[in-house]
Amino acid sequence: MTETTPILQAIGVRKTYETRGVETQALSEIDLSVAEGEFTALAGPSGSGKTTLLNLMGALDIPTQGEIRLDGENLGNLTPAELSRRRLHKLGFIFQAYNLIPVFSAAENIEFVMELQGVPHEERRTRALELLESVDLAGLGDKRPLEMSGGQQQRVAVARALASRPRIILADEPTANLDSKTAIRLLDLMLELNRSQTTTFLFSSHDPLVLERARRRVWLRDGVIDRVEGGAAA
Amino acid sequence: MSLEWRLAWRNVWRNPRRTGLTVSATVFAVALLVLMSALSTGMWEKIIDDSVSMGSGHVTLTGPNYLEERTLEQYTYLDAPLATRLGENPAIAGYAPRVNAFGLLSDADVTRGVMVIGVDPELEKSVSSLPDRIKSGRFLEKGKNREVVLGGRLAEILGVKIGDQVLLYSVAYSLESAYDLFSVAGIMHLPDPALDRGLALISLADAQAFFVYGNRISEVAIRVREADHSASLAEQLGSSLDPEKIEAHPWPEVMPDLAQTVVIDKLGMYLMLAILVIVVAFGIFNTILMAVLERKREFGVVLALGLRPRAIFRIVYLESILLAGVGLTLGLLVAIPLVLYLQANPIPITNSEEMAAAFEMVGTDPVIYAKLIANNPILSALTILLVALLAALYPAIRASQGKPVDVLRSL
Repeated sequence: MTETTPILQAIGVRKTYETRGVETQALSEIDLSVAEGEFTALAGPSGSGKTTLLNLMGALDIPTQGEIRLDGENLGNLTPAELSRRRLHKLGFIFQAYNLIPVFSAAENIEFVMELQGVPHEERRTRALELLESVDLAGLGDKRPLEMSGGQQQRVAVARALASRPRIILADEPTANLDSKTAIRLLDLMLELNRSQTTTFLFSSHDPLVLERARRRVWLRDGVIDRVEGGAAA
Repeated sequence: MSLEWRLAWRNVWRNPRRTGLTVSATVFAVALLVLMSALSTGMWEKIIDDSVSMGSGHVTLTGPNYLEERTLEQYTYLDAPLATRLGENPAIAGYAPRVNAFGLLSDADVTRGVMVIGVDPELEKSVSSLPDRIKSGRFLEKGKNREVVLGGRLAEILGVKIGDQVLLYSVAYSLESAYDLFSVAGIMHLPDPALDRGLALISLADAQAFFVYGNRISEVAIRVREADHSASLAEQLGSSLDPEKIEAHPWPEVMPDLAQTVVIDKLGMYLMLAILVIVVAFGIFNTILMAVLERKREFGVVLALGLRPRAIFRIVYLESILLAGVGLTLGLLVAIPLVLYLQANPIPITNSEEMAAAFEMVGTDPVIYAKLIANNPILSALTILLVALLAALYPAIRASQGKPVDVLRSL
């Protein structure tokens, strides 16, 4: 049996928000590890805290209490600039609303993170075209996001998330704006990437299509982990 | 092209109509800034040139306290060494000694108070435009005595024509009464109405004899090759002359009213241009702020992907610079050829008597001149760029301060 190394860990995480003097507890006593090769979903009804937990694990927010560790490093000790660098080099994001840069073509959107990483032009162009091919969008590299369907845009977003060769991809409700047929194609693509390239995925979703494909489902309710279903890595 | 430049440039053209309007406003403002500055420079340079060429030159050498009193009591001399120095100074285009006094000029029934200037007929041509202002007869000539050249309106008032004789009365330096008959040799047309109805020119030799002035003079009018060098030449001459005997004044000291008018007019123009610049600033501010607010989500996403907040600040600033830069370039491309055309082809005012009269009020010909000096477009460009930088400050700060999680939470 091979011991799996956790990429991301939440240790005793609590998150509270204060709005006009009223404190709201979004997460409480969260302990969660995500290991390499996992295809895991944070599940639960709206307001259960799944997106909050995904944001914390994606270094987009800091916990009120507890630690988030990325490859063993406590993100709470990092400056905003260092957090930026960790996101750039170790994390990939897929958002609900695709969120591609509208003034860039599909290929340029994929190249964006590589350019931030300092990858030379030729190399990033070649990789962008390869990634487009891997998400079945070969030949659409010059299209702007507004010229593409929702499903095509989300596949570009997947390719963009993969472009930086991240340790883990965090996907927040990636199928929420897609019809079921397109959602299935997208999820199957991600599963294939998970199997063939050992790409680690952590979803936040209440879409049954996502949950039935996730090998592990972490159910949240009222900001606490209610139950965990399934195993970890493939 | 770097990622930041590419993003900024494409974002500028993301809303072509809004960008087009802002660029058009900038083009208009830059063109107006350059054109108005050039017209102001051209107009005032002409007025100053006319004034110094009909007055006391760019630099005036006088006796001590002459400017305060302006009587025959304050005199100086133009001796041979000084004349040589002035003649050899490369900054000086010409110099002319003068005797300035007041008197009464009479023809049969009419008497008028006049300003009498004794001029050297030859040297005066190198300094003054008065010899070129003759509309009938001729200018004074060396060796011809007791001749007078009159302003056009003065001749009309006196009812004299070429060849007529007029009687000049005054008080000589010796405080004796001075009077003599002078023959009208020429009649000038002077744009300054005060001069046109009150100026009488006689030869320097006649003036020195008439006022019993010996070889004294009131002033030496100096014309410089570069008008901008008036002050420095006056300072240079003043420091090398004996202040007990002679003083050097740049034209603003001799004509303080004109200098003040130039300053006030320029202030008025700058105020108007400032209002124009503020309007452009609001245009750029509005465009950039709207573009930033519209892209709040996008900024959150690129921050999440790893772009540094400082880079977003730079991108917003670049957008502002590009927006202003495009407007600026087009504005200069419109304005500079227009100004150069007006510079080569001054526009005479022929269809508005009121406007022509307004020009004559300030003592110049009714012609619109423009002059392009490098400072005008450079300062206009720098002003618009500065305005763009200031206008983008708040939107840029706002864009760079967004936290990705706040944006993503609001999605």
